[in-house]
Amino acid sequence: METAAANRKTVTMKVRRYVMPEHSEKNYINQEKGLKSWLLTRDHKRIGLMYFMTSAVVFFVAGLLALTIRLELWTPAKTIIDAQTYNEIFTLHGTMMIFFFLVPAVPGILGNFLIPLQIGAKDVAFPRLNLLSYYLYLMGVIFTVVTILTHGVDTGWTFYAPYSIKSTAAVIPMTTGIFISGFSSILTGLNFIVTIHKLRAPGLTWGKFPLFVWGIYGTSIIQILATPVLAITLALVVMERVLHVGIFDPALGGDPVLYQHFFWFYSHPAVYIMIVPGFGIIADLIATFSHKRLFGYWFVAISTLAISFLGFLVWGHHMFVAGQSMVASIVFSLITFMIGIPTGIKIFNWLATMYKGSIRLKVPMLYALSFIFLFSIGGFTGVMLGALSVDVQLHATYYVVAHFHYVMFGGMVIALLGGIHFWWPKMFGKMYSETMARVSWFLIFVGFNVTFFPQFILGAKGMPRRYYNYLDQFQSLHQLSTVGSWILALGFFVMLGYLLHSLIKGEKAPANPWDARTLEWMTSAPPPTENFSYTPVVIHGPYEYQRPISEFQLGLINNDHHGGEEHEIEAPSGSPEMANA
Amino acid sequence: MEAQGHHITSVKTLLTVATALIILTIITVIFGYLNFPPPYNVIAAIGIAVVKASLVAMFFMNLYWDKKFNALILVISIIFLSALVGITMLDTMFRHAIIPTFTAG
Amino acid sequence: MADAVAESSHGHDKHVFHHFVDAHQQFDASKMGMWIFLATEILFFGGLFAAYIIFRSWYPQTFVEASDSLNRAIGGINTVVLIISSLTMALAIHYIQRNDKGKTILFLGCTWVLAATFMVIKGFEWSEHFSEGMYAGKAYAYTGVTASHAYIFYSLYYLMTGLHGIHVLVGMGLITWLMIKTKRGQFSSDYFTPVEITGLYWHLVDIIWIFLLPLFYIVA
Repeated sequence: METAAANRKTVTMKVRRYVMPEHSEKNYINQEKGLKSWLLTRDHKRIGLMYFMTSAVVFFVAGLLALTIRLELWTPAKTIIDAQTYNEIFTLHGTMMIFFFLVPAVPGILGNFLIPLQIGAKDVAFPRLNLLSYYLYLMGVIFTVVTILTHGVDTGWTFYAPYSIKSTAAVIPMTTGIFISGFSSILTGLNFIVTIHKLRAPGLTWGKFPLFVWGIYGTSIIQILATPVLAITLALVVMERVLHVGIFDPALGGDPVLYQHFFWFYSHPAVYIMIVPGFGIIADLIATFSHKRLFGYWFVAISTLAISFLGFLVWGHHMFVAGQSMVASIVFSLITFMIGIPTGIKIFNWLATMYKGSIRLKVPMLYALSFIFLFSIGGFTGVMLGALSVDVQLHATYYVVAHFHYVMFGGMVIALLGGIHFWWPKMFGKMYSETMARVSWFLIFVGFNVTFFPQFILGAKGMPRRYYNYLDQFQSLHQLSTVGSWILALGFFVMLGYLLHSLIKGEKAPANPWDARTLEWMTSAPPPTENFSYTPVVIHGPYEYQRPISEFQLGLINNDHHGGEEHEIEAPSGSPEMANA
Repeated sequence: MEAQGHHITSVKTLLTVATALIILTIITVIFGYLNFPPPYNVIAAIGIAVVKASLVAMFFMNLYWDKKFNALILVISIIFLSALVGITMLDTMFRHAIIPTFTAG
Repeated sequence: MADAVAESSHGHDKHVFHHFVDAHQQFDASKMGMWIFLATEILFFGGLFAAYIIFRSWYPQTFVEASDSLNRAIGGINTVVLIISSLTMALAIHYIQRNDKGKTILFLGCTWVLAATFMVIKGFEWSEHFSEGMYAGKAYAYTGVTASHAYIFYSLYYLMTGLHGIHVLVGMGLITWLMIKTKRGQFSSDYFTPVEITGLYWHLVDIIWIFLLPLFYIVA
């Protein structure tokens, strides 16, 4: 029996244990049938699946574009495509991966599916808005496809003025698609913030929910504050092209560096939008597979907010050689160094969690460990790029390309893969082949490093990014990188294979295959549409593995039940039970 | 004055605030003709605008009686907007030339 | 047998969605959601305010001269129009909270008319500017202000008041929808959340104009 501290407001509630069935006959997937029930769903879990399918297609197409880039770079001159096409392909690869995969996917798939489950709610605060978010995302993706099919865009994903103003390419449809998708991002962030504030189960205080919830909360704050600035920036580019307003175009007396300020004010925090949920996933994975309480819960939670905040103050580190004043460059460089601190705090806390833990090297844990290694490399090289004099040499070289792939792919995509493998049994009620998953993980880990580590060397030796031709001396490293991309691709094909097999013929998953303690594992696999058949009541933190599972299955007593153990729990602020107490 | 926990602002309060806003608007326009020396012209004009905006936020948008968190949302958005403007100006105000040019050689 | 406890407390209230415990929680959540949306609007317009501040800091004299070409009295009148529209919007919310649907529709209607007045005045203003050659950017052809980079003042003027105008039009659409739903009896003192949150949106539109006035009309 948990007793609260003397100075905290507590409310006594009658609870009893509810055991959800391991498998639900009627679950969120089969409960309502027909295309219309999916297309007009308000169920956060179905919406999560729709995001999954769409973003998987985007990742696949953008991945093919990457393979094409690497194939073209096999030889110094033209290999398979011409220079103009090459520019269009890397622009599309970057735009799709950033705006249509990394930014929307983790909040869209795992955030949507898990947040209500992890906080014991029936759905997000605004389910219809959630569906709208998905359709806005889909519209953004369709605009991109239209752009590919009609003309292509060759400005790079950064759309720098003045080229984005002058280029004859399809800048306007592309930026419109991103604008629409940005709206999706804003509405999703809005939904999650209100959900986390308002819909938590009784007893679930801010210190008790899983770190994944903190991750989504941090990301949502960034989405709200940063995305509108991108929106106005893209709108201004369109205005510049159509009406020649002269804000960014130097030919008219505008300032192209101002474009960069506005663009990076969003796009730097955007990288934190991309990675912060990953931090949350990794914390949950490490705690679960070390079977040990997360070390320094509040340090990890607050450092998430610190990164979200500091991430807004470093954007100029993309502009050290753009003509920015020395004063600004120094300030940006200093804050860029500082942002390594909360990140480092996280990594040390995760390692401390593992120390003397009971470690199980299941596939999600393999991904979590890979994350720590790969993201550390990415993070260190980021700090190196933040040093002014070093950046003069390395800006716009392959060093930068390697850095951001290590953090975005080696960090976020790896974390996403870990999360998918962790929550797959809950989402689909099926297990996957552990052996094939290990094979795939190995191919991806090796393939990733073979692809991108040589790029650090290429960059340091002076190979510029986005170049179609290159000097002969760089060829062997380019070829090594290309071979790596094939190994990576193979790893993903293996993954597609065993995951599809799991859906069709996989062994039925138990409700809690990993012996975890957070609320999503206390319901069936897959969950029923209403998530829980009772109102969950939380009395312990999310990583209390020494407590029996029965203490995590408590719920408010329905009117038609009598008796049940009485527990004294802390009712959180905003909890409806406070009003009734 | 309460219905189901919602605060109902009285008509009198609303009319008073509206009157204040109109008076402040008239003052702003008059200031336009008075030609104060910079920077006082900017401080006066923006200062009055801030007072007006605060009146609207507190009494028309009910922040005076509302949960503090909603006011915090407003304040945070303004802080981040200030960061955008302020830090960008660390660049724009300290350049050698307004639009950077690079000479050959 | 989901949520028997919660159901019994709000089973009669058809406006409360099942994932909320009660109407109060839903209302609070909707308000919080709208405030978050307003924060995004502040950052959205904020980008343009940032551009204004930066260009004005570069070309202060140009802004002073160009501002004189705008009609201060019209700017002031339009400001008063919007302030009164905020008042009528707040009154509409006051009366729906008192369950007086007639007065609610009246004041929503007044808000709509004032918004339309604002747009008409703006329309006249703009067409007068165009007739004198005050266009944005490259097309700038006004001979009255010849300071360097004069066009940038007008570019920002049209962009910012234009974006603001689009928000006024959207607001008018929302108010129309509210009037229809009030007439149909779908709002009452028990449930008026859409009126409340549309009101918040409308007041922000007013606040933005409150800042646009000194920025463009009162640069002395």
